[in-house]
Amino acid sequence: MSDTLTRSEAGGGTPPASGPWPIELDDVTVRYPNGVVALKNVSLSIAAGEMVAVVGLSGSGKSTMIRTINGLVQPTGGRVTVGPHAVSELRGRALREARGDIGMIFQAFNLADRASVFHNALVGRFAHMPTWRTMLGLASAEDREMVMRSLDSVGMLEKVWHRAGALSGGQKQRVAIARALSQEPAVMLADEPVASLDPPTAHAVMADLEDINASRGLTVLVNLHLMDLARQYTTRMIGLRAGEVVFDGPAATATDADFEAIYGRPVQARDRLGE
Amino acid sequence: MTALAVRAPIAPPKPRRLAVRIASWAVAAVVLAAFVGLDIEWDKLADLPGDLVHYGTLMFSDPDWSMLPEALRQTWRSVSMAWLGALLGVVLSTMLGIPAAEGVGPLWLRLPLRGLFAVIRAVPEVVIAIIILTVTGLTPFTGALALAIGGIGTHAKWTYETVESAPGGAVEAVRASGGGLLATVRWGLWPVISPELASLALYRFEINVRTSAILGLIGVGGIGDMLTTYTQHRQWDTVGVLIIVVVVVTMTIDAVSGAIRRRIMEGAKVRGVDRSS
Repeated sequence: MSDTLTRSEAGGGTPPASGPWPIELDDVTVRYPNGVVALKNVSLSIAAGEMVAVVGLSGSGKSTMIRTINGLVQPTGGRVTVGPHAVSELRGRALREARGDIGMIFQAFNLADRASVFHNALVGRFAHMPTWRTMLGLASAEDREMVMRSLDSVGMLEKVWHRAGALSGGQKQRVAIARALSQEPAVMLADEPVASLDPPTAHAVMADLEDINASRGLTVLVNLHLMDLARQYTTRMIGLRAGEVVFDGPAATATDADFEAIYGRPVQARDRLGE
Repeated sequence: MTALAVRAPIAPPKPRRLAVRIASWAVAAVVLAAFVGLDIEWDKLADLPGDLVHYGTLMFSDPDWSMLPEALRQTWRSVSMAWLGALLGVVLSTMLGIPAAEGVGPLWLRLPLRGLFAVIRAVPEVVIAIIILTVTGLTPFTGALALAIGGIGTHAKWTYETVESAPGGAVEAVRASGGGLLATVRWGLWPVISPELASLALYRFEINVRTSAILGLIGVGGIGDMLTTYTQHRQWDTVGVLIIVVVVVTMTIDAVSGAIRRRIMEGAKVRGVDRSS
Protein backbone atom coordinates (compact mmCIF):
# COMPACT_ATOMS: atom_id res chain seq x y z
CA MET A 1 0.00 0.00 0.00
CA SER A 2 1.67 3.16 -1.18
CA ASP A 3 -0.82 5.41 0.56
CA THR A 4 0.66 5.28 4.03
CA LEU A 5 2.09 8.48 5.35
CA THR A 6 5.81 9.09 5.26
CA ARG A 7 6.47 12.36 6.93
CA SER A 8 7.67 13.58 10.24
CA GLU A 9 5.20 15.99 11.70
CA ALA A 10 1.51 16.05 10.90
CA GLY A 11 0.60 18.42 13.67
CA GLY A 12 3.29 21.04 13.20
CA GLY A 13 2.36 24.65 12.78
CA THR A 14 0.77 27.28 14.91
CA PRO A 15 -1.71 26.40 17.64
CA PRO A 16 -4.93 28.43 17.70
CA ALA A 17 -4.65 31.73 19.47
CA SER A 18 -7.48 30.82 21.83
CA GLY A 19 -6.09 27.45 22.91
CA PRO A 20 -8.19 24.27 23.11
CA TRP A 21 -11.72 24.46 24.42
CA PRO A 22 -13.89 22.23 26.59
CA ILE A 23 -17.18 20.83 25.28
CA GLU A 24 -20.28 20.62 27.45
CA LEU A 25 -23.52 18.82 26.67
CA ASP A 26 -26.19 19.46 29.25
CA ASP A 27 -29.29 17.25 29.08
CA VAL A 28 -29.27 17.32 25.26
CA THR A 29 -32.17 15.72 23.41
CA VAL A 30 -32.57 15.59 19.64
CA ARG A 31 -35.94 14.61 18.24
CA TYR A 32 -36.09 14.68 14.44
CA PRO A 33 -39.23 15.96 12.70
CA ASN A 34 -40.12 12.37 11.72
CA GLY A 35 -40.37 11.51 15.43
CA VAL A 36 -37.08 9.61 15.76
CA VAL A 37 -35.33 10.46 19.02
CA ALA A 38 -31.62 10.35 18.15
CA LEU A 39 -30.29 11.59 21.50
CA LYS A 40 -31.96 11.17 24.89
CA ASN A 41 -30.95 13.51 27.73
CA VAL A 42 -27.23 13.26 27.07
CA SER A 43 -24.98 15.09 29.49
CA LEU A 44 -21.23 15.09 28.91
CA SER A 45 -18.28 17.14 29.92
CA ILE A 46 -15.17 16.98 27.78
CA ALA A 47 -12.12 18.83 29.03
CA ALA A 48 -9.95 21.04 26.85
CA GLY A 49 -7.32 19.03 25.00
CA GLU A 50 -8.91 15.61 25.56
CA MET A 51 -8.86 12.93 22.83
CA VAL A 52 -12.24 11.23 23.02
CA ALA A 53 -13.77 8.38 21.03
CA VAL A 54 -17.53 8.15 20.69
CA VAL A 55 -18.33 4.51 20.04
CA GLY A 56 -21.59 2.99 18.98
CA LEU A 57 -23.26 1.08 16.16
CA SER A 58 -24.79 2.99 13.29
CA GLY A 59 -28.05 4.50 14.42
CA SER A 60 -26.79 4.87 18.00
CA GLY A 61 -26.86 8.68 17.72
CA LYS A 62 -23.14 9.39 17.53
CA SER A 63 -23.41 11.20 14.20
CA THR A 64 -26.23 13.33 15.59
CA MET A 65 -24.25 14.06 18.74
CA ILE A 66 -21.18 15.29 16.89
CA ARG A 67 -23.39 17.49 14.70
CA THR A 68 -25.02 19.16 17.69
CA ILE A 69 -21.54 20.30 18.75
CA ASN A 70 -21.10 22.53 15.68
CA GLY A 71 -24.79 23.33 15.27
CA LEU A 72 -25.37 21.34 12.07
CA VAL A 73 -28.13 19.70 14.12
CA GLN A 74 -30.05 21.84 16.63
CA PRO A 75 -31.02 20.05 19.84
CA THR A 76 -34.72 20.05 20.64
CA GLY A 77 -33.83 20.18 24.34
CA GLY A 78 -30.81 20.96 26.48
CA ARG A 79 -27.71 23.03 25.95
CA VAL A 80 -24.44 22.62 24.05
CA THR A 81 -21.42 24.77 24.90
CA VAL A 82 -18.06 24.78 23.14
CA GLY A 83 -15.51 27.04 24.84
CA PRO A 84 -17.08 30.52 24.90
CA HIS A 85 -19.87 29.62 22.42
CA ALA A 86 -23.32 28.53 23.59
CA VAL A 87 -23.70 26.72 20.25
CA SER A 88 -27.27 25.50 20.80
CA GLU A 89 -28.46 29.10 21.28
CA LEU A 90 -26.65 30.66 18.33
CA ARG A 91 -28.15 31.51 14.97
CA GLY A 92 -26.95 33.20 11.79
CA ARG A 93 -23.64 35.01 11.85
CA ALA A 94 -22.81 34.11 15.46
CA LEU A 95 -23.32 30.41 14.71
CA ARG A 96 -21.12 30.66 11.61
CA GLU A 97 -18.38 32.29 13.66
CA ALA A 98 -18.58 29.51 16.25
CA ARG A 99 -18.38 26.91 13.45
CA GLY A 100 -15.30 28.70 12.19
CA ASP A 101 -13.56 27.70 15.43
CA ILE A 102 -14.66 24.07 15.22
CA GLY A 103 -13.03 21.85 12.58
CA MET A 104 -14.85 18.80 11.25
CA ILE A 105 -13.99 15.86 9.02
CA PHE A 106 -16.40 13.32 7.59
CA GLN A 107 -16.62 9.67 6.59
CA ALA A 108 -17.18 10.57 2.91
CA PHE A 109 -14.49 13.30 2.99
CA ASN A 110 -17.06 15.81 1.62
CA LEU A 111 -14.69 17.50 -0.79
CA ALA A 112 -15.83 19.29 -3.95
CA ASP A 113 -14.29 16.81 -6.39
CA ARG A 114 -14.26 19.22 -9.32
CA ALA A 115 -12.44 21.94 -7.40
CA SER A 116 -8.72 22.04 -6.73
CA VAL A 117 -7.14 20.80 -3.52
CA PHE A 118 -6.29 24.44 -2.80
CA HIS A 119 -9.87 25.67 -3.05
CA ASN A 120 -11.11 22.76 -0.97
CA ALA A 121 -8.68 23.64 1.79
CA LEU A 122 -9.48 27.34 1.41
CA VAL A 123 -13.04 26.52 2.54
CA GLY A 124 -11.54 26.43 6.04
CA ARG A 125 -10.87 30.16 5.79
CA PHE A 126 -14.41 31.14 4.68
CA ALA A 127 -15.57 32.15 8.16
CA HIS A 128 -12.88 34.85 8.11
CA MET A 129 -13.00 35.98 4.47
CA PRO A 130 -15.04 38.83 2.92
CA THR A 131 -17.82 37.56 0.65
CA TRP A 132 -16.30 38.84 -2.60
CA ARG A 133 -13.09 36.93 -1.94
CA THR A 134 -15.08 33.80 -1.11
CA MET A 135 -17.12 34.06 -4.31
CA LEU A 136 -14.05 34.45 -6.51
CA GLY A 137 -11.95 31.96 -4.57
CA LEU A 138 -9.27 34.62 -4.15
CA ALA A 139 -7.25 34.15 -0.99
CA SER A 140 -5.39 36.97 0.72
CA ALA A 141 -1.65 36.36 1.10
CA GLU A 142 -2.24 35.47 4.73
CA ASP A 143 -5.06 32.99 4.04
CA ARG A 144 -3.04 31.47 1.24
CA GLU A 145 -0.13 30.88 3.55
CA MET A 146 -2.37 29.27 6.19
CA VAL A 147 -3.81 26.92 3.57
CA MET A 148 -0.38 25.98 2.27
CA ARG A 149 0.87 25.39 5.79
CA SER A 150 -2.01 23.09 6.69
CA LEU A 151 -1.64 21.17 3.40
CA ASP A 152 2.07 20.82 4.13
CA SER A 153 1.37 19.51 7.63
CA VAL A 154 -0.65 16.59 6.20
CA GLY A 155 1.84 15.95 3.40
CA MET A 156 -0.47 17.12 0.60
CA LEU A 157 1.30 20.30 -0.47
CA GLU A 158 2.62 18.91 -3.75
CA LYS A 159 -0.99 18.06 -4.80
CA VAL A 160 -2.21 21.60 -4.13
CA TRP A 161 -3.23 22.32 -7.74
CA HIS A 162 -4.63 18.85 -8.45
CA ARG A 163 -8.34 18.28 -8.69
CA ALA A 164 -9.64 16.82 -5.43
CA GLY A 165 -11.58 14.16 -7.34
CA ALA A 166 -8.35 12.73 -8.75
CA LEU A 167 -6.99 11.80 -5.31
CA SER A 168 -7.17 8.45 -3.51
CA GLY A 169 -9.36 8.03 -0.43
CA GLY A 170 -6.52 8.50 2.03
CA GLN A 171 -5.32 11.60 0.22
CA LYS A 172 -8.85 13.02 0.19
CA GLN A 173 -9.20 12.56 3.93
CA ARG A 174 -5.86 14.32 4.47
CA VAL A 175 -7.04 17.24 2.32
CA ALA A 176 -10.20 17.30 4.45
CA ILE A 177 -8.04 17.41 7.57
CA ALA A 178 -6.07 20.27 6.01
CA ARG A 179 -9.35 22.07 5.31
CA ALA A 180 -10.26 21.77 9.00
CA LEU A 181 -6.77 22.81 10.15
CA SER A 182 -6.94 25.91 7.93
CA GLN A 183 -9.70 27.09 10.25
CA GLU A 184 -7.13 27.16 13.07
CA PRO A 185 -9.79 25.46 15.16
CA ALA A 186 -9.89 25.01 18.90
CA VAL A 187 -11.87 21.75 18.62
CA MET A 188 -11.70 19.00 16.00
CA LEU A 189 -14.68 16.77 15.29
CA ALA A 190 -14.38 13.62 13.19
CA ASP A 191 -17.42 11.63 12.08
CA GLU A 192 -16.30 8.08 11.26
CA PRO A 193 -13.19 9.48 9.56
CA VAL A 194 -11.69 6.10 8.60
CA ALA A 195 -14.79 4.02 7.81
CA SER A 196 -14.24 4.47 4.04
CA LEU A 197 -10.50 3.70 4.13
CA ASP A 198 -8.43 0.52 3.94
CA PRO A 199 -6.69 -0.53 7.20
CA PRO A 200 -3.18 0.95 6.65
CA THR A 201 -4.65 4.29 5.50
CA ALA A 202 -7.12 4.21 8.37
CA HIS A 203 -4.26 3.86 10.85
CA ALA A 204 -2.38 6.72 9.16
CA VAL A 205 -5.40 9.05 9.43
CA MET A 206 -5.99 8.07 13.07
CA ALA A 207 -2.31 8.80 13.75
CA ASP A 208 -2.83 12.22 12.14
CA LEU A 209 -5.69 12.95 14.53
CA GLU A 210 -3.65 11.70 17.47
CA ASP A 211 -0.82 14.00 16.41
CA ILE A 212 -3.16 17.00 16.02
CA ASN A 213 -4.30 16.34 19.58
CA ALA A 214 -0.78 15.89 20.94
CA SER A 215 1.19 18.62 19.18
CA ARG A 216 -1.51 21.25 18.60
CA GLY A 217 -3.28 20.47 21.82
CA LEU A 218 -6.73 20.47 20.15
CA THR A 219 -9.72 18.88 21.79
CA VAL A 220 -10.52 15.95 19.48
CA LEU A 221 -13.82 14.09 19.38
CA VAL A 222 -13.91 11.17 16.97
CA ASN A 223 -16.84 8.90 16.14
CA LEU A 224 -15.81 5.28 15.65
CA HIS A 225 -17.50 1.93 15.49
CA LEU A 226 -14.29 -0.16 15.70
CA MET A 227 -13.12 -1.09 19.20
CA ASP A 228 -9.40 -1.50 18.49
CA LEU A 229 -9.09 1.99 16.97
CA ALA A 230 -10.79 3.49 20.02
CA ARG A 231 -8.47 1.62 22.37
CA GLN A 232 -5.31 2.42 20.47
CA TYR A 233 -5.72 6.09 19.64
CA THR A 234 -7.94 7.72 22.23
CA THR A 235 -7.71 8.25 25.96
CA ARG A 236 -11.38 8.39 26.82
CA MET A 237 -14.30 6.49 25.38
CA ILE A 238 -17.98 7.36 25.40
CA GLY A 239 -20.35 4.56 24.45
CA LEU A 240 -23.68 5.44 22.85
CA ARG A 241 -26.55 3.04 22.44
CA ALA A 242 -29.99 4.07 21.19
CA GLY A 243 -29.23 7.73 21.90
CA GLU A 244 -28.09 7.24 25.48
CA VAL A 245 -24.64 7.25 27.07
CA VAL A 246 -24.03 3.69 28.29
CA PHE A 247 -20.27 3.91 28.87
CA ASP A 248 -17.87 6.65 29.83
CA GLY A 249 -14.35 5.76 30.87
CA PRO A 250 -10.74 5.25 29.84
CA ALA A 251 -10.50 3.77 26.33
CA ALA A 252 -7.36 1.69 26.78
CA THR A 253 -8.77 -0.43 29.59
CA ALA A 254 -12.31 -0.86 28.22
CA THR A 255 -13.03 -4.59 28.21
CA ASP A 256 -14.78 -6.68 25.55
CA ALA A 257 -17.69 -6.85 27.99
CA ASP A 258 -17.89 -3.06 27.95
CA PHE A 259 -18.06 -3.11 24.15
CA GLU A 260 -20.74 -5.81 24.25
CA ALA A 261 -22.78 -3.53 26.47
CA ILE A 262 -22.35 -0.67 23.99
CA TYR A 263 -23.13 -2.77 20.92
CA GLY A 264 -25.91 -4.67 22.66
CA ARG A 265 -24.61 -7.95 21.19
CA PRO A 266 -21.51 -10.17 21.38
CA VAL A 267 -18.29 -8.76 19.89
CA GLN A 268 -17.72 -9.89 16.30
CA ALA A 269 -14.71 -9.97 14.00
CA ARG A 270 -15.97 -6.94 12.08
CA ASP A 271 -15.83 -4.81 15.22
CA ARG A 272 -12.05 -4.72 14.84
CA LEU A 273 -10.09 -3.14 12.01
CA GLY A 274 -6.87 -5.12 12.49
CA GLU A 275 -3.58 -4.05 11.00
CA MET B 1 -45.28 -25.01 22.01
CA THR B 2 -45.94 -27.37 19.10
CA ALA B 3 -49.27 -25.73 18.48
CA LEU B 4 -47.45 -22.63 17.29
CA ALA B 5 -45.60 -24.55 14.62
CA VAL B 6 -48.70 -25.80 12.84
CA ARG B 7 -50.69 -22.58 12.92
CA ALA B 8 -51.38 -21.20 9.47
CA PRO B 9 -49.34 -18.04 8.72
CA ILE B 10 -51.33 -14.83 8.89
CA ALA B 11 -50.60 -12.78 5.80
CA PRO B 12 -51.24 -9.04 5.89
CA PRO B 13 -54.54 -8.13 4.18
CA LYS B 14 -54.27 -7.68 0.44
CA PRO B 15 -54.31 -3.92 -0.32
CA ARG B 16 -57.26 -2.74 -2.39
CA ARG B 17 -55.91 -0.67 -5.23
CA LEU B 18 -59.16 1.17 -5.87
CA ALA B 19 -57.43 4.42 -6.84
CA VAL B 20 -55.28 2.64 -9.42
CA ARG B 21 -58.34 0.98 -10.94
CA ILE B 22 -60.27 4.27 -11.18
CA ALA B 23 -57.24 5.95 -12.76
CA SER B 24 -56.93 3.18 -15.36
CA TRP B 25 -60.58 3.56 -16.38
CA ALA B 26 -60.21 7.34 -16.53
CA VAL B 27 -57.18 7.08 -18.85
CA ALA B 28 -59.05 4.66 -21.10
CA ALA B 29 -62.02 7.05 -21.26
CA VAL B 30 -59.77 9.99 -22.19
CA VAL B 31 -58.11 8.00 -25.01
CA LEU B 32 -61.50 7.02 -26.44
CA ALA B 33 -62.83 10.57 -26.14
CA ALA B 34 -59.78 11.87 -28.00
CA PHE B 35 -60.50 9.65 -31.00
CA VAL B 36 -64.13 10.73 -31.11
CA GLY B 37 -63.26 14.42 -30.77
CA LEU B 38 -60.77 14.46 -33.64
CA ASP B 39 -63.24 13.48 -36.39
CA ILE B 40 -60.71 11.17 -37.95
CA GLU B 41 -61.55 10.19 -41.51
CA TRP B 42 -60.05 6.74 -41.46
CA ASP B 43 -60.57 6.10 -45.17
CA LYS B 44 -58.25 8.99 -46.01
CA LEU B 45 -55.41 7.17 -44.25
CA ALA B 46 -55.41 4.79 -47.18
CA ASP B 47 -54.33 7.64 -49.48
CA LEU B 48 -51.39 8.53 -47.22
CA PRO B 49 -48.74 6.25 -48.79
CA GLY B 50 -49.69 7.46 -52.28
CA ASP B 51 -49.58 11.13 -51.25
CA LEU B 52 -46.23 10.63 -49.54
CA VAL B 53 -44.74 9.25 -52.75
CA HIS B 54 -46.33 12.05 -54.80
CA TYR B 55 -45.02 14.95 -52.70
CA GLY B 56 -41.75 13.17 -52.01
CA THR B 57 -41.15 12.99 -55.74
CA LEU B 58 -42.03 16.67 -56.17
CA MET B 59 -39.58 17.67 -53.40
CA PHE B 60 -36.66 15.37 -53.84
CA SER B 61 -36.58 14.13 -57.47
CA ASP B 62 -35.04 17.37 -58.72
CA PRO B 63 -34.26 19.75 -55.81
CA ASP B 64 -33.48 23.32 -56.78
CA TRP B 65 -29.89 23.46 -55.48
CA SER B 66 -29.52 27.11 -56.58
CA MET B 67 -31.43 27.94 -53.38
CA LEU B 68 -28.78 26.27 -51.20
CA PRO B 69 -26.71 29.42 -50.36
CA GLU B 70 -29.84 31.31 -49.25
CA ALA B 71 -31.00 28.25 -47.28
CA LEU B 72 -27.67 28.03 -45.49
CA ARG B 73 -27.73 31.75 -44.75
CA GLN B 74 -31.19 31.47 -43.19
CA THR B 75 -30.13 28.35 -41.29
CA TRP B 76 -27.25 30.32 -39.83
CA ARG B 77 -29.74 32.94 -38.63
CA SER B 78 -31.85 30.20 -37.04
CA VAL B 79 -28.86 28.65 -35.31
CA SER B 80 -27.74 32.09 -34.07
CA MET B 81 -31.24 32.67 -32.75
CA ALA B 82 -31.12 29.29 -31.01
CA TRP B 83 -27.68 29.94 -29.56
CA LEU B 84 -28.48 33.43 -28.26
CA GLY B 85 -31.78 32.15 -26.87
CA ALA B 86 -30.04 29.27 -25.11
CA LEU B 87 -27.36 31.55 -23.67
CA LEU B 88 -29.85 34.09 -22.29
CA GLY B 89 -32.28 31.41 -21.17
CA VAL B 90 -29.68 29.34 -19.36
CA VAL B 91 -28.22 32.33 -17.53
CA LEU B 92 -31.68 33.45 -16.41
CA SER B 93 -32.71 29.89 -15.53
CA THR B 94 -29.60 29.31 -13.44
CA MET B 95 -30.08 32.56 -11.52
CA LEU B 96 -33.77 31.83 -10.91
CA GLY B 97 -33.53 28.03 -10.61
CA ILE B 98 -30.91 27.73 -7.86
CA PRO B 99 -32.87 29.87 -5.34
CA ALA B 100 -35.95 27.78 -6.20
CA ALA B 101 -34.26 24.62 -4.91
CA GLU B 102 -35.19 23.17 -1.56
CA GLY B 103 -32.39 23.80 0.91
CA VAL B 104 -31.24 26.93 -0.89
CA GLY B 105 -34.08 29.46 -1.05
CA PRO B 106 -36.71 30.01 1.66
CA LEU B 107 -40.25 28.81 1.04
CA TRP B 108 -41.65 32.30 0.38
CA LEU B 109 -39.20 32.63 -2.51
CA ARG B 110 -39.36 29.04 -3.81
CA LEU B 111 -43.13 28.93 -4.25
CA PRO B 112 -43.55 32.07 -6.41
CA LEU B 113 -40.52 31.12 -8.51
CA ARG B 114 -41.87 27.63 -9.14
CA GLY B 115 -45.25 29.14 -9.95
CA LEU B 116 -43.59 31.43 -12.48
CA PHE B 117 -41.81 28.47 -14.12
CA ALA B 118 -45.07 26.54 -14.30
CA VAL B 119 -46.87 29.47 -15.96
CA ILE B 120 -44.07 29.86 -18.53
CA ARG B 121 -44.13 26.10 -19.21
CA ALA B 122 -47.81 26.39 -20.01
CA VAL B 123 -47.23 29.02 -22.72
CA PRO B 124 -45.74 27.82 -26.04
CA GLU B 125 -42.72 29.68 -27.44
CA VAL B 126 -44.78 30.81 -30.43
CA VAL B 127 -47.25 32.59 -28.15
CA ILE B 128 -44.42 34.21 -26.20
CA ALA B 129 -42.91 35.39 -29.50
CA ILE B 130 -46.23 36.92 -30.54
CA ILE B 131 -46.39 38.81 -27.25
CA ILE B 132 -42.79 40.01 -27.54
CA LEU B 133 -42.95 41.03 -31.18
CA THR B 134 -45.31 43.84 -30.22
CA VAL B 135 -42.20 45.40 -28.69
CA THR B 136 -39.24 44.19 -30.73
CA GLY B 137 -40.91 43.58 -34.09
CA LEU B 138 -40.51 40.70 -36.54
CA THR B 139 -36.78 40.12 -36.08
CA PRO B 140 -34.60 37.14 -35.20
CA PHE B 141 -33.92 38.90 -31.89
CA THR B 142 -37.61 38.44 -31.05
CA GLY B 143 -37.14 34.76 -31.72
CA ALA B 144 -34.09 34.59 -29.47
CA LEU B 145 -35.94 36.39 -26.66
CA ALA B 146 -38.93 34.08 -27.02
CA LEU B 147 -36.64 31.04 -26.85
CA ALA B 148 -34.86 32.48 -23.80
CA ILE B 149 -38.04 33.24 -21.87
CA GLY B 150 -39.83 30.10 -23.01
CA GLY B 151 -36.77 28.08 -22.03
CA ILE B 152 -36.92 29.29 -18.44
CA GLY B 153 -40.03 27.22 -17.78
CA THR B 154 -38.38 23.85 -18.27
CA HIS B 155 -34.74 24.80 -17.83
CA ALA B 156 -35.15 26.43 -14.41
CA LYS B 157 -37.09 23.35 -13.33
CA TRP B 158 -34.22 21.11 -14.48
CA THR B 159 -31.84 23.41 -12.61
CA TYR B 160 -33.56 23.16 -9.25
CA GLU B 161 -34.08 19.44 -9.68
CA THR B 162 -30.36 19.07 -10.38
CA VAL B 163 -29.56 21.05 -7.24
CA GLU B 164 -31.95 18.99 -5.13
CA SER B 165 -30.54 15.66 -6.32
CA ALA B 166 -26.90 16.72 -5.92
CA PRO B 167 -24.91 14.89 -3.23
CA GLY B 168 -24.74 17.18 -0.20
CA GLY B 169 -21.36 16.28 1.29
CA ALA B 170 -19.42 19.31 0.11
CA VAL B 171 -22.32 21.57 1.11
CA GLU B 172 -22.24 20.14 4.62
CA ALA B 173 -18.47 20.68 4.81
CA VAL B 174 -18.73 24.35 3.81
CA ARG B 175 -21.52 24.90 6.35
CA ALA B 176 -19.52 23.09 9.04
CA SER B 177 -16.53 25.37 8.55
CA GLY B 178 -18.66 28.48 8.97
CA GLY B 179 -19.45 29.43 5.37
CA GLY B 180 -22.59 31.47 4.69
CA LEU B 181 -25.30 30.68 2.14
CA LEU B 182 -23.45 32.24 -0.81
CA ALA B 183 -20.21 30.47 0.06
CA THR B 184 -22.11 27.20 0.41
CA VAL B 185 -23.72 27.59 -3.01
CA ARG B 186 -20.48 28.71 -4.66
CA TRP B 187 -18.10 26.08 -3.24
CA GLY B 188 -20.34 23.32 -1.92
CA LEU B 189 -22.96 23.19 -4.65
CA TRP B 190 -21.59 24.77 -7.83
CA PRO B 191 -18.60 22.41 -8.33
CA VAL B 192 -20.99 19.48 -7.94
CA ILE B 193 -23.76 20.66 -10.25
CA SER B 194 -21.87 22.63 -12.91
CA PRO B 195 -21.06 19.66 -15.20
CA GLU B 196 -24.70 18.62 -15.29
CA LEU B 197 -25.87 22.22 -15.79
CA ALA B 198 -23.40 22.63 -18.68
CA SER B 199 -24.72 19.45 -20.24
CA LEU B 200 -28.32 20.64 -19.82
CA ALA B 201 -27.38 24.01 -21.36
CA LEU B 202 -26.13 22.28 -24.52
CA TYR B 203 -29.28 20.18 -24.59
CA ARG B 204 -31.27 23.42 -24.38
CA PHE B 205 -29.37 24.64 -27.45
CA GLU B 206 -30.28 21.45 -29.34
CA ILE B 207 -33.94 21.94 -28.44
CA ASN B 208 -33.78 25.60 -29.50
CA VAL B 209 -32.38 24.67 -32.92
CA ARG B 210 -35.54 22.66 -33.54
CA THR B 211 -37.88 25.20 -31.95
CA SER B 212 -36.36 28.09 -33.93
CA ALA B 213 -37.56 26.44 -37.15
CA ILE B 214 -41.11 26.46 -35.76
CA LEU B 215 -40.78 30.11 -34.69
CA GLY B 216 -40.16 30.91 -38.37
CA LEU B 217 -43.85 30.20 -38.88
CA ILE B 218 -44.78 33.56 -37.39
CA GLY B 219 -42.17 35.35 -39.48
CA VAL B 220 -39.28 36.13 -37.16
CA GLY B 221 -36.83 35.02 -39.84
CA GLY B 222 -34.52 32.08 -40.30
CA ILE B 223 -35.02 28.77 -42.05
CA GLY B 224 -38.52 28.26 -40.64
CA ASP B 225 -39.65 31.51 -42.21
CA MET B 226 -38.24 30.46 -45.59
CA LEU B 227 -39.83 27.02 -45.30
CA THR B 228 -43.27 28.52 -44.65
CA THR B 229 -42.98 30.95 -47.55
CA TYR B 230 -41.99 28.35 -50.16
CA THR B 231 -44.53 25.82 -48.91
CA GLN B 232 -47.29 28.41 -49.31
CA HIS B 233 -46.08 29.07 -52.88
CA ARG B 234 -45.98 25.32 -53.47
CA GLN B 235 -42.41 25.49 -54.81
CA TRP B 236 -41.73 21.88 -53.86
CA ASP B 237 -38.26 21.69 -55.43
CA THR B 238 -37.07 24.48 -53.08
CA VAL B 239 -38.93 23.01 -50.09
CA GLY B 240 -37.04 19.78 -50.72
CA VAL B 241 -33.69 21.57 -50.42
CA LEU B 242 -34.83 23.33 -47.25
CA ILE B 243 -35.94 20.09 -45.62
CA ILE B 244 -32.64 18.42 -46.47
CA VAL B 245 -30.72 21.37 -44.99
CA VAL B 246 -32.83 21.41 -41.81
CA VAL B 247 -32.45 17.68 -41.25
CA VAL B 248 -28.68 17.62 -41.94
CA VAL B 249 -27.94 20.70 -39.82
CA THR B 250 -30.11 19.56 -36.92
CA MET B 251 -28.61 16.07 -36.92
CA THR B 252 -25.07 17.47 -37.11
CA ILE B 253 -25.66 19.84 -34.20
CA ASP B 254 -27.29 17.06 -32.18
CA ALA B 255 -24.35 14.74 -32.82
CA VAL B 256 -21.66 17.29 -31.99
CA SER B 257 -23.49 18.66 -28.96
CA GLY B 258 -24.27 15.14 -27.75
CA ALA B 259 -20.61 14.16 -27.99
CA ILE B 260 -19.58 17.24 -25.99
CA ARG B 261 -22.24 16.51 -23.37
CA ARG B 262 -21.02 12.93 -22.97
CA ARG B 263 -17.51 14.25 -22.57
CA ILE B 264 -18.59 16.70 -19.87
CA MET B 265 -20.47 14.08 -17.88
CA GLU B 266 -17.62 11.56 -18.13
CA GLY B 267 -15.21 14.24 -16.97
CA ALA B 268 -17.42 14.70 -13.92
CA LYS B 269 -16.61 11.15 -12.86
CA VAL B 270 -13.19 10.52 -11.47
CA ARG B 271 -10.78 9.47 -14.15
CA GLY B 272 -7.09 8.67 -14.03
CA VAL B 273 -7.01 8.32 -10.26
CA ASP B 274 -3.51 9.06 -9.08
CA ARG B 275 -2.71 6.79 -6.17
CA SER B 276 0.93 7.65 -5.69
CA SER B 277 1.74 9.84 -2.75
